[in-house]
Amino acid sequence: MISLTHVTKLYGTVIGVNDVTVELGSGAYGLLGPNGAGKTTFLGLVTGQLRPSMGDVRVFGERPFFNSRVLRRIGYCPASDLTERNATPREWVRYLVQLSGFTPESASRRADRTLEQVGLGEAVNRPLSTLSKGMRQRAKLAGAIAHDPDLLVLDEPFDGLDPVARHELVSLVRTWAHSRSLLVASHLLHEVEALQAGLAVILGGRLVASGPVDEIRRLIDTLPSEVRVVSSAPRRLAEMACASADADSVRFVGTDTFVVATRAPRDFAERIGAAAVAEGILVSELVPGDRSLEGIFGRLVQIHRGVTS
Amino acid sequence: MTPASRPSVAAPETPPPIPALAAILAVARFQLGRLLTPPRLAMAALGVVFPTAILLAAMKASGRTLPFHYGAPLLYALVPEAVCMLGLLVTMCPVVADELERGTWVHVAVRPGGRRSLLLGTYLAAVVWTGSVALSALLLALVSGAIAGGWAVLWPFIGLIGLSCIGRAALFALPAVIIPKKALVAGVGVALVVEYLAGFIPAVVNQLTVALRLRTLLVRWMGWRRQLYSMPEMQLLIDINPPWMQVAAVFVLAVVFLALALAILEWRQFPPSEES
Repeated sequence: MISLTHVTKLYGTVIGVNDVTVELGSGAYGLLGPNGAGKTTFLGLVTGQLRPSMGDVRVFGERPFFNSRVLRRIGYCPASDLTERNATPREWVRYLVQLSGFTPESASRRADRTLEQVGLGEAVNRPLSTLSKGMRQRAKLAGAIAHDPDLLVLDEPFDGLDPVARHELVSLVRTWAHSRSLLVASHLLHEVEALQAGLAVILGGRLVASGPVDEIRRLIDTLPSEVRVVSSAPRRLAEMACASADADSVRFVGTDTFVVATRAPRDFAERIGAAAVAEGILVSELVPGDRSLEGIFGRLVQIHRGVTS
Repeated sequence: MTPASRPSVAAPETPPPIPALAAILAVARFQLGRLLTPPRLAMAALGVVFPTAILLAAMKASGRTLPFHYGAPLLYALVPEAVCMLGLLVTMCPVVADELERGTWVHVAVRPGGRRSLLLGTYLAAVVWTGSVALSALLLALVSGAIAGGWAVLWPFIGLIGLSCIGRAALFALPAVIIPKKALVAGVGVALVVEYLAGFIPAVVNQLTVALRLRTLLVRWMGWRRQLYSMPEMQLLIDINPPWMQVAAVFVLAVVFLALALAILEWRQFPPSEES
């Protein structure tokens, strides 16, 4: 569906993305990275707004830039807020659908149906300026999906939303993604986790990892992770940790806490916990390596920067 | 890369084929809607009123109704020139900059033919809006009775207003797509340098200006050509070809300017940092 081959995008001397090669089949994907990592540039290349300075971008097998056939099949919801304040959601969505090549009647039908679908049915005739940010996000989303694209591309879609609006929008996007392909750029990892999407991690314009979450977790498992232990007898417990084949290194942080670097954090935590019980040592905290997406992201960033332990 | 879930992709729904004109009309309608705001309407009202105010002031200063040979050229300078020029500057020049500032550029740019529709739709809206303002200004000026026998200019001036809008809106499309963020300043520069400087140079360069065509049509349609025989230097400021060629030249210039602007706009890229 999306194929980037050695793609570099330069803005003068500034690098947007740097030698990215990735193949994304049909399905749901999260594009993760901190602000300024190159996510929006990546999406700009995929949605035909930008031409690569080097390399080749293909979407549905064709170059997307200046290509109506590809653009017709893409729905894009940018990160920027909708500042078209005088129009109503109905007018805005109808306008966008008409630009996608639909007749005014068909565009009106689609706009009404989609606005209903995103939960804006009651507010279709209110000026966008009177809507909350969450409602405007829904209007943006409606504009992106009303022409029934095969690929929906969302850039930071949940930014600035309150938890309720975020939850509702996540559900909406997840439902939509059951039948179509989805690419979501976000710096908030739990959002991507909530969408149950595959991962592509971008940092400093480079793609540092891509694959299903589990695959990336396996990659992480091959590298040392850390287990933090807070105990009443830290030196004794650290001695036992050093004796374990799983421990790569041990360091103390404070008088009662030590951190063990290990390639099998979960196994290690279970073993050291059992040993502490057997020795009658009180362990007040035993935190294995972070298994959340947040943790994975942090580890990938570390790996990319050459920090492996 | 294998996705977390691999849903089946539904067959693409082919939108009903409609001419690109429908999308252009949609943009024009939308842009006209944007112009129906109190500040824009106030500006338009000013455009309608100010030629009449100038004519009435001139009439008051001279103490009598303005004679036709004086009032008609003044009205030409005020309506098909000034009102049209200013109206087109504010409606056509921000075609891209406005979208970038409103954060709507990206929504349009990712639509098939979106950039083309945006430019041509905005062009249409600019011509309709400015043409309406200029026409209202003309009618108000004539109704005021400041020019003796002023109604004689009605049909020629309607034609000149139409051609002025068609030609100059296309001309202003160029700075709008080349330097969007400073398009208004560049547009003023283009108006001064191209239309009012190059347009008065009796050389090949003025053949490429709308001003030469409008001046020639003014002289021809008002039947002032005979009077110019007594002023050979003035004859250098108009074209010798017949009116139909002047009209055709305005349309050719408009098509060329728009084609250039479209080519530039289709090829342009706006980095995310240039959007609002």
